[in-house]
Formats: sequence, C-alpha cells, structure tokens
Amino acid sequence: MKIRDIVLIGLLSAATTAGKAALSIIPNVEIVTLFFIVFASTIGLKRSLFIAIVFVTTEILIYGFSTWVIGYYFIWPLLVLIASLLSRKTSSEYGYAVLAGLFGLCFGLFFAITESFFYGPAYGFAYWINGLTFDFIHGASNFIIVLLLFKPMEKILDMQASRLQLL
Amino acid sequence: MSKKIITIITVLLVFGLLYVSYEAYIAPKAVEGSKEVTIQIVVEKENIDKTFTFRTDHEFLTDLLKEKQEQLGASFDSTQYGTMITGMMNYKADPAANEFFLFQINGDDAMAGTDDTPIQDGDTYKFILTKW
Repeated sequence: MKIRDIVLIGLLSAATTAGKAALSIIPNVEIVTLFFIVFASTIGLKRSLFIAIVFVTTEILIYGFSTWVIGYYFIWPLLVLIASLLSRKTSSEYGYAVLAGLFGLCFGLFFAITESFFYGPAYGFAYWINGLTFDFIHGASNFIIVLLLFKPMEKILDMQASRLQLL
Repeated sequence: MSKKIITIITVLLVFGLLYVSYEAYIAPKAVEGSKEVTIQIVVEKENIDKTFTFRTDHEFLTDLLKEKQEQLGASFDSTQYGTMITGMMNYKADPAANEFFLFQINGDDAMAGTDDTPIQDGDTYKFILTKW
C-alpha cells in the first residue's frame, strides 16, 4: 500500500465520521451509506474496506465499546463489498439507491441478530420490532439521498482520483 | 415531472404504507397495567371488609399502595426497616392498644414488608387489623 493510499483512507474515513456527526441530529438519516457506496464504486474495494474499518474504530473511540461494535465491524464492510460487486454490474444510481434503501430497512434486523447472540432471540425480536419505525426512516432516506447524490459525488471523486493519479 | 421525483414520491408512499401497516398491526401497544392484583382490607371492629382490584405495572407493592393511597385510605410511616402500613380505610392502627395491620399474601402471612413484596399477576394482598 502506497503512502498516498494511507493518506486517502485517513482523509475519507475522517470525512465519513464528520458527515455522520453533521447529520446526527436527525435520527436515522445519514450519509455514511452514500459515502461507502460511492467509495466502493470509484476508489476500489480494498481502500473502501480500510475506510470502513477505520471509520468503525473511530466510532468506538468516540462512543465507547459495546455490543453494537461487533455489528458495525460486519455491516459497513458488508455494504462496501455488496456495493463493489454491484458496481461491476451497473453504474445506474437507481441500483445503488435500491441497495441503500434495503440496507437501511434491514439495519435494525442485522443488529437484532447480533444482539440476540448476547441476550437471546426474544430480546432480539423485540429489539427489531420496536425499532422498525426507525428502519423505515433509514430505508426511505437512504434511497432518496443515494438517488440524488450518488452521481454528483461519484463525478467529483472520479475527477479528483484522476487528478491525483489514484486510479 | 422528472423520473427521479416520481420515484421518490413512490418510495415515500411505499414506506408510508409500511409505517401505517406497522402501527396498525405490529407495533407494541401500550396497555394500562399488565398485572392484575386484589387488595383486601379487614378492620373488623369498624365492620370494614373491602376488596379492590387494580391493574398495575409497578414492581413493588408499596408503590401501588402509594399510588392508590386516597382510594385505600392508607397511611404510612417510613422507618429504618422500610415502609410501615399504619392505616387503612382511614382507620389508624393504635399502637397503644397493640394494634397493627397484619399483611398476608395469598392467604399466608408475608415474610417481608410491602417495600420488598414484588407485585405478581393474580396475587391477593390482605391487610387485617390485628392485635399482638
């Protein structure tokens, strides 16, 4: 890995953390999903996975260690992986928007599964059902954000990546 | 109207519909008191034998007694051993006459005070004016 890559990973993971913090006042509306999808489709899988891992580690440093950490270490790299696979099939923002919408809709379910390993299936099920309203908001907002912002952001990142000879 | 706007409106409608269905059929409904208990008060010398049924979510009996204090005519004393029931149905036990309220749970004398009595669905709590 080149020094240029290390700097890029640091900068983009910091941008992701900042983006999340900026929207944290609106429950379950975030641009982290958009960022990871754009990263995966422009700067490559390996760099994007590193960004996801650095981002999650930074989250732990900010919010502390808990059971959600395990889920975070799986779910964001998983999104990057799926987005990277999808980028080989399509470049349409509609495909990415569907991925982002489904990801938001299933976010609570994924954490319910990880929580049920600690507290039992009954707790996991109650956790999921109670949080479904937030999953609906997450899914709908993810879909809209990615549909509207994927192309402009991809264009900017592509341009900068070419200018800095990252690709 | 552009394709994106139509898509966004459609998605909002779909998620709105999901939300409405969730609220109507799946979302946990708040119920007023998940446990039903009976409280019986007996003050023979005053011809009092009253039974009350309450639904509650309180964990311990003292909390329920305090919530229904007016209806039960209850009075309490806070001691170093916990809350003591000094009166029921507006009748105050007279310590000078060796009176106290015997507390029973489902017909058996309680082994702990009301502070340490967890409320369980279907329980009957009885307070009987007694002499020692």
